[in-house]
Amino acid sequence: MIVEQVVPTAARVDLSEALEALRTPAPPLAPFSDAVIGFCADFSRRLFRDEQSLRFPELQALAFWMRKAELVRLGQDFERLKTAGTVLVPRGLVFHVPPANVDTIFVYSWLVSVLTGNRNVIRLSPRASEQTVILCRIFNETLLAAPSELSDNTVMFRYGHEREITQEISTCADVRVLWGGDASVNALRSVPLPPHAKELTFPDRYSFSAIRARRYNQADLPRRQRLAGEFFNDLFWFDQMACSSPRLLIWLGEPDETSAASSEFLHLLQTYAEQRGYRVQPQTRLNRFAFACRAALDEKAVRYQDLKELIVLDIEDFQHFTRDHCGGGLLFQYRIPELEELETFVSRRDQTLTYFGFDIPELENLASRLRGLDRIVPIGQALNFNRFWDGYDLFQELTRHVCVA
Amino acid sequence: MNFDDLLSAPQYSLAQTRKETELTPQFNELTRHHRLHCPPYDRLLSVMYPGLGDAGSLADIPFIPISLFKTHRLSSIPESDVFKTLTSSGTSGQQVSQIVLDRETARRQTIALSRIMTSVLGPERLPMILVESEAILKDRLRFNARAAGVLGMMNFGRKHFYALNDAMELDEPGLRSFLDEYGGKPFLIFGFTFMVWQYLFLRIAHLGLDLSQGILVHSGGWKKLEEMAVGNPEFRRRIADSTGLTRIYNFYGMAEQVGSVFLEGDDGFLYPPNFGDIIVRDPLTFREQPVGEPGVIQVLSLLPSSYPGHSILTEDMGVIRGIDDSTCNRAGKYFSVLGRVPQAELRGCSDVHASQVSA
Repeated sequence: MIVEQVVPTAARVDLSEALEALRTPAPPLAPFSDAVIGFCADFSRRLFRDEQSLRFPELQALAFWMRKAELVRLGQDFERLKTAGTVLVPRGLVFHVPPANVDTIFVYSWLVSVLTGNRNVIRLSPRASEQTVILCRIFNETLLAAPSELSDNTVMFRYGHEREITQEISTCADVRVLWGGDASVNALRSVPLPPHAKELTFPDRYSFSAIRARRYNQADLPRRQRLAGEFFNDLFWFDQMACSSPRLLIWLGEPDETSAASSEFLHLLQTYAEQRGYRVQPQTRLNRFAFACRAALDEKAVRYQDLKELIVLDIEDFQHFTRDHCGGGLLFQYRIPELEELETFVSRRDQTLTYFGFDIPELENLASRLRGLDRIVPIGQALNFNRFWDGYDLFQELTRHVCVA
Repeated sequence: MNFDDLLSAPQYSLAQTRKETELTPQFNELTRHHRLHCPPYDRLLSVMYPGLGDAGSLADIPFIPISLFKTHRLSSIPESDVFKTLTSSGTSGQQVSQIVLDRETARRQTIALSRIMTSVLGPERLPMILVESEAILKDRLRFNARAAGVLGMMNFGRKHFYALNDAMELDEPGLRSFLDEYGGKPFLIFGFTFMVWQYLFLRIAHLGLDLSQGILVHSGGWKKLEEMAVGNPEFRRRIADSTGLTRIYNFYGMAEQVGSVFLEGDDGFLYPPNFGDIIVRDPLTFREQPVGEPGVIQVLSLLPSSYPGHSILTEDMGVIRGIDDSTCNRAGKYFSVLGRVPQAELRGCSDVHASQVSA
């Protein structure tokens, strides 16, 4: 089978031969070895310097996340996982399947895989975004300058939905990482893996925010303005289509507290959006309007506010609420008197709660009583990737604990 | 002027200020009618347009997005009064619009279309060429807005000749004998824009046939032709050059407002009928655009009384070219359609847009 290879070089290659080369490499790399850290740090430097990459904030965020100092800190975290009597070694070959209209979120799990010493095969969609194309080019440049033990670390193929290709790659995978919508994840999961292999899935998720109105009202204006800016970034960075983009804002408090807080917050948010000059596409605008009309028809929303960059829909209860969403700047808003009300609302599909005005102990207490939510982080950090994602510790998932006694 | 007066008056005869004065109260009446008889529509308006009172002008009449008809069956009549439910496939969706008609709305649609068409065809039924195959009407499973459109237009002709076979091939001998018999006097040609171009014009362009007595009425959008870099001026010019056919009338219409079509004038622009109007809105703010500024098309029609479709925001882009200053002796607004609102691909880490509402 001939496939289109994008990394390490752009070429049409025989899939079996390419996989064979990956299967018979030199001894595995040690996790967080100097060579691996040096390689990732070089990749980061190139992302920072590249003219095309500079145009994309998400690539810059990626570069920042991979900067040398951060890599060293991650290495120290990794060290702490080692216990007496165990050695951590890479799993082997990790097969990553990002979603069709990928953005750069999948890159983080791939980089954790590189850092932990694994080799990687990545399927790129023919619809890959401009950012992905830039990433591949810079990655190839990094590979060219890398020591030989890293030159065969990552191979990327570009193909559509050809199951045979996915099948053949899967036969030699030790770990398979699937990103995408529920339907795509389900379809891909039916492709067999070797008996020993494991699978990590990152399917559709839902995320929301919560603000304690009293604390909001007590905060000074600069803090409230900063909060609006942080919330804006969480919401709009990926057109509100990332799994951790907030889509619902929950106000905790009494009606008079929450209505004052809400109207002031939305005003600050709109002011910030205007300053930032965020403009939605006409079709997105129409989709949003139609979505809001549907929500009104279906008794899911009782109030509509058009803040230009953002549509806000108030809901009256969780009973009629579905997690359907159109993205592109639409926020549901709801008031609850007690934090406990979340216990019936939260489902396994919920990923990230971004918050303002809560203390860590009450959030820890809440987390332990919920069926869902894999991340509870302050507003402004919705999209900050770390090794704990969707309930996994990727360091643990991508290494083997070898018992030596 | 009540609705019947608007129909019986010569079409395109109302100057814009007059039209505003005559139509606005009737649209307010329709909005009230639908609020009363279609509870979901009333709910929608109370959330999306809180505190809504009577509109002071046509631009103030509340509008709803066209895609709602694809997800909701909106009806302002009791189920027992449903005469038929019209369905349409949009351009890109598996989802179809559902338009609920009672006898009264269907009747008004028929009369309205007739008033519009006879303004260019004259009162006589003309011998008619259909750029279609007969199969389109036979396949009941696919009976949709396209078939309904063909059926509706057939009323304006006689001696119907289907120019295509099931394989979309031109019946050239049939066409020649039609022209031998009827080609010396006015006759009607109807078809969808792309089919007229692809299956009729391109196949007869070199034959030297004389269609100079023909009146071509066509509709369906320019998307496919624009992919071939053929716009309206070129369409008109090339057909005229090689067949002598110059009386060409495009129209813009949709299943959601059947009967209320915007018919091209001799200047190549589209005109609203007496009982309807068009508003072009800024796609981001929804504010009414001035003449010459492109935006999203909102269509207004007094016809729909069985479903709340009297004021619809489409997903088409258009531009008002002028008001009351037409060169072809028609009053009111005139405009051009610029195509679909460009699709935006939202990014993100999920590749399934579970709630994508376009189509």
